[in-house]
Amino acid sequence: MITQRSFFPFSKRMIVPLALTLLVVLIYPLVFSFWVSLHEYSLTALEDVRFIGLQNYIGLRHNPSFWNALRNTVVFVFGAVFLETVLGFGLALLLHRPTLRFRNFFRSILLTPMFITPIAVGLMFRFLLNQQLGVLPYLLDQIGIQVDWFGPQLALFSIILIDVWQWTPFMLLLFLAGLESLPASPFEAARVDGASWFFTLRKVTLPLMKPVILVALIIRGLDAFKVFEYIYAITRGGPGDSTETILYYIYKVAFRFFRMGEAAAMAYVLIALTLFLVFILYRIMSADEGA
Amino acid sequence: MNRSRHFRETLVNGGLNLILVIALIIVLFPYFWIFLTSLKPVDLVARPEVWIFSPSLFNWRDVLLNSDVPRYLLNSVIVALSTVGVALVVAAPAAYSFSRFNTGGGATRFSILAAEMLPPAVLIVPLFLLMFRLALLNTHLAIIAAHLTFVTPVITWFLIGFFDEVPKDLEEQAMVDGYTRFQAFYKVVLPSVRPGLAAAAIFGFVLSWNDMFYALILSGGDSKTLPVAIAGYWTFRGIEMGKMAVAILVAIVPVLLASFFIQKYLVKGLGGGAVKY
Repeated sequence: MITQRSFFPFSKRMIVPLALTLLVVLIYPLVFSFWVSLHEYSLTALEDVRFIGLQNYIGLRHNPSFWNALRNTVVFVFGAVFLETVLGFGLALLLHRPTLRFRNFFRSILLTPMFITPIAVGLMFRFLLNQQLGVLPYLLDQIGIQVDWFGPQLALFSIILIDVWQWTPFMLLLFLAGLESLPASPFEAARVDGASWFFTLRKVTLPLMKPVILVALIIRGLDAFKVFEYIYAITRGGPGDSTETILYYIYKVAFRFFRMGEAAAMAYVLIALTLFLVFILYRIMSADEGA
Repeated sequence: MNRSRHFRETLVNGGLNLILVIALIIVLFPYFWIFLTSLKPVDLVARPEVWIFSPSLFNWRDVLLNSDVPRYLLNSVIVALSTVGVALVVAAPAAYSFSRFNTGGGATRFSILAAEMLPPAVLIVPLFLLMFRLALLNTHLAIIAAHLTFVTPVITWFLIGFFDEVPKDLEEQAMVDGYTRFQAFYKVVLPSVRPGLAAAAIFGFVLSWNDMFYALILSGGDSKTLPVAIAGYWTFRGIEMGKMAVAILVAIVPVLLASFFIQKYLVKGLGGGAVKY
């Protein structure tokens, strides 16, 4: 026991299986991927893999498709996460009212979209919003509204709305749990002072909810960067390249054009971006915990 | 005076409830419409104005008896169960160690979170090339390996939050009673977080079950999982849509049922002990 503690303690032995698993399925592929990114590595010419240093990275600077995909992704992430936060918070406030009956029923149903596979969500909405076959354009047509949901102007916005349908529940889940665990005394004090509902929301609820909101924002934001299935199911990046997101573009370069080196380099740029965001998330979390 | 205020409050409350009901309809309508479509006879599938008709089980019979969907369903089950099994076995001791001894300090938790958030684009190229070299493309093993990359960190993160709540006295008492450290973990601590383990397992299962990105690239032919098969209904010919509706329902109904069981555990799990509510 004593020798074990000084040499290879119990706490470290317990993480060996996890460390080995992640080494095989995660770390090794990551390192290999970096190696690939330094090579001209095409699936159609596997016998001719050449070291080209940072060329794959430098080439990205002059690749308009890469920048377009990055821009679309940023627009998508900010649009979707903003709407999801506002709607999620509003719904959480509505569900949190003490006078509400059937709260569990409402909550259980409202949370369901976040559990189902995104490809099914994409296909459902492709069907629902289709010009000829869809029920929504049909209903809107009855009241004289015609919208081309997946035309060049609206396609990215429609994809955002689909994301809002699926992921507002995630925000609702976290916000509702946050609201339920807030201390009661500040709210009683505000009521005794005769503060209006809006004043209480702004000066009591929101400041108390700040840590939860920050965590929810960043988790959802990082997750939204991975948007792929809706694009794959509905627009395949079109019309033109107006809905081509970064994950879809990397998929295209790797598995349609077979340019593995270039795809790996783009993925590493994405990693840098993601790690930076996760680092900020971690700093915010630990700062709150230490306080 | 008092009565008019009461009246106003009732009115406001009614309005707010109405908003909730509208939200409920927005959430439920797509399910309802897909279900309706799955019951439509072939000639009505492409006609959104038809809401009332005599239902037909043609699509259901066709998909469940005359297509490969049951096989893809089985693939999804095999992949998800294997992934969760491996992930639980390696994640539970590690999560306990992180929670109880803070092994590796903040850096470890940061790495787990980073692994969880890693964009799949980063791993798909090397995983594809490795599976290609190992001649494992289009096997369950390839998809399981890919799913382990995100299910393992998620389950580890999930369990940390549950282990944090186990009182230290529990295992100390067990060791006084003559258990070794590992026995105390295995026979005392682990059973006390059983609901957390179940929730983590279900959540991991759902994540694996729902993935299409990795499965799309690493599997094909007979090894396809259900989400990849659903994506194959991309052609929008009328006859395909009824079947698509059935396949979608087959993929989402089990998960919807599971969701009702894990909802109340999710917040603690997602917070991973880092968010204290």
